[in-house]
Amino acid sequence: MPTPTSRPANAGDSPGAGPGDDTLIEARDLTRQFDAGRVHALRGVTFTIRIHEFVAIIGPSGSGKSTLLQILGALDAPTSGDFAFRGQSVPAIRDLAGFRARTIGFIFQSFHLLPTLTAVENVQIPMFEMPWRAPERRRRAAELLQAVGLGDRLGHLPAQLSGGERQRVAIARSLANEPQLLLADEPTGNLDSVSTQNIMELMGALHQQRGMSLIVVTHDSDVAACAGRTLRMRDGRIVADTLRAGGGP
Amino acid sequence: MNFLTLVGKNLLRRPTRSLLTMTGIAVGIAAVVALSSIAWGFQRSWAQAYTARGTDLIVTRVTSRDPLPPPFGDAIKDDLRRLPRVQGVTGLLSDMVSIEDAPTVLVFGWERDGFLWGHLKLAQGRWPADDSEKTVVIGTVAAEMLKKSVGDTLHIETDDFRICGTFTSAAFVENGTVIMALRQMQRVMDYEGKVNFLNLKLAPGTTDREVEALRQTIKARFSGYNAFTGGEVAQNNTAIQAAKAMSWATSLIALVVGAVGVTNTMLMSVFERIHEIGILLAIGWRRRRIMRLILSESITLSLVGGLIGILLGLAAVSLLQATPWIRGKIEGEFDLPLIALALVIALGLGALGGLYPAYRGSRLHPSEALRYE
Repeated sequence: MPTPTSRPANAGDSPGAGPGDDTLIEARDLTRQFDAGRVHALRGVTFTIRIHEFVAIIGPSGSGKSTLLQILGALDAPTSGDFAFRGQSVPAIRDLAGFRARTIGFIFQSFHLLPTLTAVENVQIPMFEMPWRAPERRRRAAELLQAVGLGDRLGHLPAQLSGGERQRVAIARSLANEPQLLLADEPTGNLDSVSTQNIMELMGALHQQRGMSLIVVTHDSDVAACAGRTLRMRDGRIVADTLRAGGGP
Repeated sequence: MNFLTLVGKNLLRRPTRSLLTMTGIAVGIAAVVALSSIAWGFQRSWAQAYTARGTDLIVTRVTSRDPLPPPFGDAIKDDLRRLPRVQGVTGLLSDMVSIEDAPTVLVFGWERDGFLWGHLKLAQGRWPADDSEKTVVIGTVAAEMLKKSVGDTLHIETDDFRICGTFTSAAFVENGTVIMALRQMQRVMDYEGKVNFLNLKLAPGTTDREVEALRQTIKARFSGYNAFTGGEVAQNNTAIQAAKAMSWATSLIALVVGAVGVTNTMLMSVFERIHEIGILLAIGWRRRRIMRLILSESITLSLVGGLIGILLGLAAVSLLQATPWIRGKIEGEFDLPLIALALVIALGLGALGGLYPAYRGSRLHPSEALRYE
């Protein structure tokens, strides 16, 4: 375990840099309420994430970490507060689907592959939003599956793959449109320890090679340990923002 | 992977349901095809009747669209004959008559020396010998319908007529008719000296423009009269229009049932796939693309159903035509416009039936849909 250096929670900027050119995400006082204000999932969250950062968000169930990830992925809107992606306010974007397709890759706990499509077809699904023709889509999808170590599983259906392999397909799919940000919600939550280690190694390697930022929500401390920075959440607030010593990109 | 691959895979996921929905569409389209084929065939047979008779223009009183216009004196006959390009003018008197216990039969009185007789082929017996003879010839289908043959008598209105011959006609519809000399028809109907159509035969090689000019001349010179081509008369025939309306009404019911089937299937399929639609939305599909996916699925269902329906309709018409009861009475028209129409209707059904399900699917909230299991 690397030695964590403690920093004050809700620091307005990233360690070692001001909110300069390398700021990817800037979130200010985000709140999210459900059921007409009876449930407060987020109670004012402020943080900054830099380009190429690998951040783990940890915390107990109900701490608001999944809600935060949904907002970061433009799948959900905050009740109040603002969050900017490369200086652009995301809640103000009109074409959120297009924004998601072009800039964000999602990895889910239960993989969320389409059951009737083969691995190589699943990876092509996000590519319909890009100006690529069918042969180009297929070529890219095959390359991505190769990159995640499934070059020999292109024609397999999800049901014919193991859990770890399914998550690899999902990872390849998340990379389909060369996103700037990967969001993973408990990516190893349904996997055994061997698969977990493999998936985290793969995600770490892809993060290094491809240079996108990576945010992983998890409650597995081993998974969190792979990240350069850890945001700990409790009751809808960030209670600790920890940088791994010598870590970071 | 193409978009259509995705559409196909989604439809093949529930093969039985897709098949049943397609069957619903197919039955609807088959009804449209079969009924329209018969109604259009009916109309075309009449249009052909005029061609077969050698009639290029029909002159009648403008009163109404009645298929059997009221009779008028044939005084203008000689004037018509003097018009340019007119080679022959012959009058006819026709009426629907109830003969014994058979359904109504179309009875014609034709001028004995007119050009109309030329296209009939005698099957048995002989033609009426002169204007004073109380004889008729009957078409082969009429003979079958009335269960009469040469030598039998037919009771028409107030008189008995002897059947002196049976005939076949190149004009399909005439095979179900009874024909006598015009003088006899005028006498028995009590319309002395009157006809309800004057048939004009024009010189060979008359162009469409010359026909049109002649029509205008007739309209201008003989006030109260109008001239039509055979096709127009058939189109304006109220009996044909009634047949068409019936076929449309029946088709419409079949189509509504088909459309409801498509809507139901697509709604079920959307509700089953809420989670998957959530995935698509989450990974960046626009709502428009979700709509397009669902609409493509419903249109594919209805187009395939439509193709099957066209084949079924064709089979139904041929089957009907082959049965002894209908053989020779109905001639289905089966051409490219009808197939195109059927396909357009199928397309419309798919689009209409898929619209609401597509709307519902595209309105899903991505994160809520993702949580839905």
